[in-house]
Amino acid sequence: MNVIESMKIALRGLSSNKMRTALTMLGIIIGVGVVILVVAIGQGATKRVTDTVNALGTNMLSVWPGSSHLRISAAITKTATPADPTAPAPKISTPNHLTLDDAKVMARSFPKTVDAVAPQVRDNVQVRLGDKNTSTNVTGTSTDYLYVNNAEVNRGRFFTQYEIDGSEKVCVLGQTVADNLTVDSGSDLTGKTISINRQNFKVVGMLALKGSGAFGQDQDDIIITPITTAMRRILNRQYLNYLSVRCVSPQMMPLAQEQISNFLRNRHHIPPPYPDNDDFNIRSQTDLMMRQQSVTSTMTSLLSIVAVISLIVGGIGIMNIMLVSVTERTREIGIRKAIGATPRDILLQFLIESAIISLIGGLIGIVVGVVGAILLAKIGGWNTIVNTTAIAAAVLVSAGVGIFFGIYPASKAAALHPIEALRYE
Amino acid sequence: MVRFLGHDLKEETMNPPESENRAMLRLRDIRKTYVMGDQQVQALDGLNLDIRMGEFTAIMGPSGSGKSTLMHIIGALDAPTSGSYQLDGIEVADMDEVELAQIRNRKIGFVFQGFNLLSRTTALENVILPLVYGHRKNKEESAIAALERVGLGDRLDHKSNQLSGGQQQRVAIARALASDPLLILADEPTGNLASMQSEEIMQIFQELNDEGKTIVMVTHEPDIGQHCKRMVTIKDGKVIEDYQVKDRLLAADILVKMRAERDNYKPVLMEQVPVG
Repeated sequence: MNVIESMKIALRGLSSNKMRTALTMLGIIIGVGVVILVVAIGQGATKRVTDTVNALGTNMLSVWPGSSHLRISAAITKTATPADPTAPAPKISTPNHLTLDDAKVMARSFPKTVDAVAPQVRDNVQVRLGDKNTSTNVTGTSTDYLYVNNAEVNRGRFFTQYEIDGSEKVCVLGQTVADNLTVDSGSDLTGKTISINRQNFKVVGMLALKGSGAFGQDQDDIIITPITTAMRRILNRQYLNYLSVRCVSPQMMPLAQEQISNFLRNRHHIPPPYPDNDDFNIRSQTDLMMRQQSVTSTMTSLLSIVAVISLIVGGIGIMNIMLVSVTERTREIGIRKAIGATPRDILLQFLIESAIISLIGGLIGIVVGVVGAILLAKIGGWNTIVNTTAIAAAVLVSAGVGIFFGIYPASKAAALHPIEALRYE
Repeated sequence: MVRFLGHDLKEETMNPPESENRAMLRLRDIRKTYVMGDQQVQALDGLNLDIRMGEFTAIMGPSGSGKSTLMHIIGALDAPTSGSYQLDGIEVADMDEVELAQIRNRKIGFVFQGFNLLSRTTALENVILPLVYGHRKNKEESAIAALERVGLGDRLDHKSNQLSGGQQQRVAIARALASDPLLILADEPTGNLASMQSEEIMQIFQELNDEGKTIVMVTHEPDIGQHCKRMVTIKDGKVIEDYQVKDRLLAADILVKMRAERDNYKPVLMEQVPVG
């Protein structure tokens, strides 16, 4: 008996009990659908993170002042006893000391590894244009900012070194800020004068759109001014919040990180052990992204486990129904054996039945998963990527589940003794 | 004898020429022991039986005599505990499950008391089934020919549950015939049928036998046994009686009488009503 004949027989068996077949399929439909959906969400999230890393540039280092988080928490656990939970956190010996000079010297010191350094001060400011008011971030930085941060000015110009030296009151706006200050979106405020913390600034250019960052923040909600202006005129600061360092190449990153660390330890006279005593933090953008990505992939694998469990439960459902079916059709099996069906014929018949249930269930599951992913993207605004490998795997897995969970009932049917099967009422 | 085009001609040419004396079925010292709990039940106890080609044999006996067990062994549904069973010169007694399935498919056609058709399946599909399992060619033609032979050429696409008991049994006979077996094995084929239908079934069997088919029929009804040519009686797992049937009943004649009675029944009633 060939497979096509077996399939015909199996299909007739399935169609004679449609409701039961459909319910059995449901387990597989849900399992496969969830797998497809989870993979789509996971891949979408991963792609978003990778895209952001690529947009930022893979050769970016971030340096910011303050002791490493590890040391602070260690110090707190050491001193804060349960008897006195309100004890003040210990003072860190060296407070935020990252100066403009640090940045200037650093930029000159490592020509082979460090390409450019953009020092930054940042804070929230109140911005006004006419009767429109908004709160946003002002970033004071150097002319290297655009280069280091892969940013662009698409209308007007960036400020110049001359304007930095003179602490001129000029600024470059992100689109979100401009939109918040005007009625219509996409407006160009180049040449206008806006007020930042009650001081008038001339808008010299507009930044090109960057979209949302890796953590969902709006990268266009920003005002950029010369660093000297920001430090002296707006924020009244002596120290930097942040240094963006662009390395010569991704391969040079570890060396650059090492060199910058030693450079800052020397300048700040920090005693060993390192990095425990450091008064600064240094991370590559990729490190940060990797951390984000690992969160995403943990989520994805957790959801995948749930999906796989539901597939297994679906498979057990198939096994259950097939066992019932074998018992119910004992007499039929007896008749088939009496007229010459070999155990293999019977095995094949039931195996194909369970494989068909799960294969059709799998195909419907794929449709459900793909439609779900599209709906999530359209309505929920999630990033989802349906990939063909996942679909192919789902088909294989669902057929595999059907065959695996069909083996036991089918071999039970094949092993029935013809006489006993014929006598079965 | 060759009615069906679909069957395997090669097999026949390989066999020695038909001879009246050649035993197609040869059972020697067949024993079958069942273990029921601690007890051993000796269903067949050294049974010997030869059946020649073209015979129409009734196997009779009270319940518990072992006739069902014998039928299972003849039908290759079960293997004897010991002894030799040769079917068409092939030793069947020590075959494995797959070989037995092939013997059942190629050499034996079963007709059961309870018809044993597949439910929700058409007559044609039921008859095709053994041909499918036997990888035969011209399946549909052979199956249709078999159904026409039992007078159901117009019921091919009727499902089992749309047929009367007699019709279902005729489908079962067609199924047994379709693969052109050496032996037709019928287990109480008329047990579930009314007398008229029983005679119709017996008529088909007698015609098939006249065409040369070898038939073994297990029954406990002496009337039915009387339609056969040879009567073998089993008791306690042994053959106790074996003779050629005298005054054989012919189903065709009985049917003529029965139909006449049925057709005359109403006019007789009418005549009893005084006219005028």
